[in-house]
Amino acid sequence: MSARRVVVYWTAFSVILALLIVAPLVLPEFWRRFLTEILIWGLLAMSSDILIGYAGMVSFGHSAFFGLGMYGAAAALLLVKPPDLWLAILYGLIAAAGVAAFVAYFATRLRDIYFAITTLIFSQIFYVIIFTWTEVTGGENGLTFGRPALAIPGLFSVPFTSETLHWFVLAVVTASYLALRRITQSPFGMVLQSIRENEARTRAIGYPIERYKIAAVMLSGLFAGLAGVLYAIQNRFAAPDFVFFLISGEVVIFNVIGGIGTLVGPIVGAAFFLLLREGFSRFFTEYYLIPVGLIFIAMVIFMPQGLLGFMRRWLNQ
Amino acid sequence: MAGEPTLEATVPASAALGGASALILRTEGLTVRFGGLTALNRVNFDLQRGEIRAIIGPNGAGKSTFFNCLTGVLRPSTGRFLFNGEDITGLPPNWISQKGIARSYQITNIFPNATAIENVRIAAQSRRHGWSLLTHHRAYRDIIEKAEAVLEAVGLRGKGDEMAANLSHGEQRNLEIGIALATEPQLLCLDEPTAGMSAAETRDTMALVRRIAKNLTILIVEHDMRVVMELAQRITVFHYGEILAEGTPEEIQRNPRVLEVYLKT
Repeated sequence: MSARRVVVYWTAFSVILALLIVAPLVLPEFWRRFLTEILIWGLLAMSSDILIGYAGMVSFGHSAFFGLGMYGAAAALLLVKPPDLWLAILYGLIAAAGVAAFVAYFATRLRDIYFAITTLIFSQIFYVIIFTWTEVTGGENGLTFGRPALAIPGLFSVPFTSETLHWFVLAVVTASYLALRRITQSPFGMVLQSIRENEARTRAIGYPIERYKIAAVMLSGLFAGLAGVLYAIQNRFAAPDFVFFLISGEVVIFNVIGGIGTLVGPIVGAAFFLLLREGFSRFFTEYYLIPVGLIFIAMVIFMPQGLLGFMRRWLNQ
Repeated sequence: MAGEPTLEATVPASAALGGASALILRTEGLTVRFGGLTALNRVNFDLQRGEIRAIIGPNGAGKSTFFNCLTGVLRPSTGRFLFNGEDITGLPPNWISQKGIARSYQITNIFPNATAIENVRIAAQSRRHGWSLLTHHRAYRDIIEKAEAVLEAVGLRGKGDEMAANLSHGEQRNLEIGIALATEPQLLCLDEPTAGMSAAETRDTMALVRRIAKNLTILIVEHDMRVVMELAQRITVFHYGEILAEGTPEEIQRNPRVLEVYLKT
C-alpha cells in the first residue's frame, strides 16, 4: 500500500487504541465493564471472521470454542492453587484447541451449509455433555471461581481492578488483532481467500484444501477460546449457556452487522449489537429483541456489507 | 521476442531434463464409465517430452473426460497413467499439480475478485511458502517476480492491478493460461484456449502457446482446425471415447476415417 495510506491507517489505529486506553479512566464503573465485555465479544467475533470473511466458511460452532475456553480456564483456576492467570489461559487454549481439532477434522470435509450445520451440531453435542456431566462441569449451574491476580512470575503480582482488567483485555485483543491481520495477509491467508473465491481452482493449482481448512478452523478456535478465557476471568464463572448455539448465532450477527472480512468490523458489530440491546432492554424490557430484530433486518437489506464493509479493501491493504 | 528472457525464469530446470525422446505421459487402458456410458474406453496414449499434441474429436468424444482424468478430477474406472514413469492414477488434483501437470479450463476458471497479479501470484506460491503464516505475502520477492514474469509472458503486463473480473474475455483466457503456467508445470493441458476469441486474439494466443512450448510439453484440446493444424506436431483424434487416429497434421487431414467422422461434417 502507498506510504500515505500506511500513515493514515496506523494513525487511525493509534487514535482508537489511545481512546480505548483512556476510556476506563473517564467512564463510570458500569460502562467500563461494558466496554471490556464488548472487547471480549469482539475478539470472539473477530476469530470467527477468519472463517466467515476470509475462508468463506460460516461457522455456527463458535460457542463451543468460546465455552471450552471458559471451562478450560475454570479448570486451571479451580484445580491449581494459587490461581494463575497464565495457566488459565494455557488450559483454556488447550481445551479450545482440542475441540477445534475435533470439529475441524470432521466439519471441513463438508462445504457451505453442510459445514455450518455440522459445526452447529458439534457445538450442541459439547453443550449437552457439559450440561449433563454435573460432577465435573457443575451442570446447569456451571462453575464459579476466584479471579487470578495480574502477575508476571518473578516480577509482580497485583489483584485485578476494573481498570487493569480492561487494559489487560485490551492488550490481548489488540495483540490478537495484529496477529490475525498479519495471518490474513500472509501466504497462508491468501490461500484461505482463494479458497473462498474458487475452491476447485485452488485445489487444481496444488493446494491441499482440507489441510488449509483444518488449520483455519483450529486457528479460529484458538482465538475464540482466548475470548472465552477472558470472559471467564472477567465474570468469574463458566456456564453451559455460553456453549449453547445462541452464542454462535450472535457471533455470526456481529460479523454481518460489522462487515465480514475486515477483522475490526466484527468488533464494531459486537459493540453496536450490545449497545442496541442494552438501550432497548431499558425501554422495551423483555420485548427488546423485537426492535433489535427489525434493525437487523433493515441493516441486512440496506447495508448488506455491514458497518465497515465499505472500508474492506482499505483495511486489508 | 520481448517476452522470452523472462519466460526462461518461469520454467523449472527439471522441465528440460530427460532428453527430447523421453516419454512424459503414458496412459494404459484408461477407461471411465459414468453408469452405463463409457466416456473413455481403454485409451492407450503416449506423449513425448517437448511435444505439442492436439486432441480433436466431436463433442462427447471424451476429450474433456481425458483431461479430467489426467488432472485428478475424475478417477478412472480402470487403467492407469504414468507421468515421468511414475504411476499417479487416482491422486487428488493438488498432488497431481505438485507432480507437474497443470491445466487451463474450457470455461474460464479464475479468481474473479482478485487482481490479475494476485491470480498468478497465488498459483506461484503453491510451490513454496504456502504455509507461511506470519510474514506478509508481499515480502516474498521471489513469488512476486515469478508472477510478474508470468503476466508478461501471457501478454498481461501492465494489467496486473486490474481485477480479473474486469479484464476482457481474451485477457481472462490468457490469465487462465498464466495461472496454470505459474505452477511451473512440465505438462500443460490447454482446454480450448482460444474459445470465444477474436481472430487477432487467437493469433496472439497461438504465438503465446508456441513460446511457452519451448520449455514444456503441451496437450491442447481445440475445435478451431486452423489453430490445431498450425500448432500441433501430432494430432490424436478421439471418437466415442476411443482413439480413432493419430499422426501428423498432414496424415490426419488425409485419413479417410477421420474425414468421415469429423473433418467433413
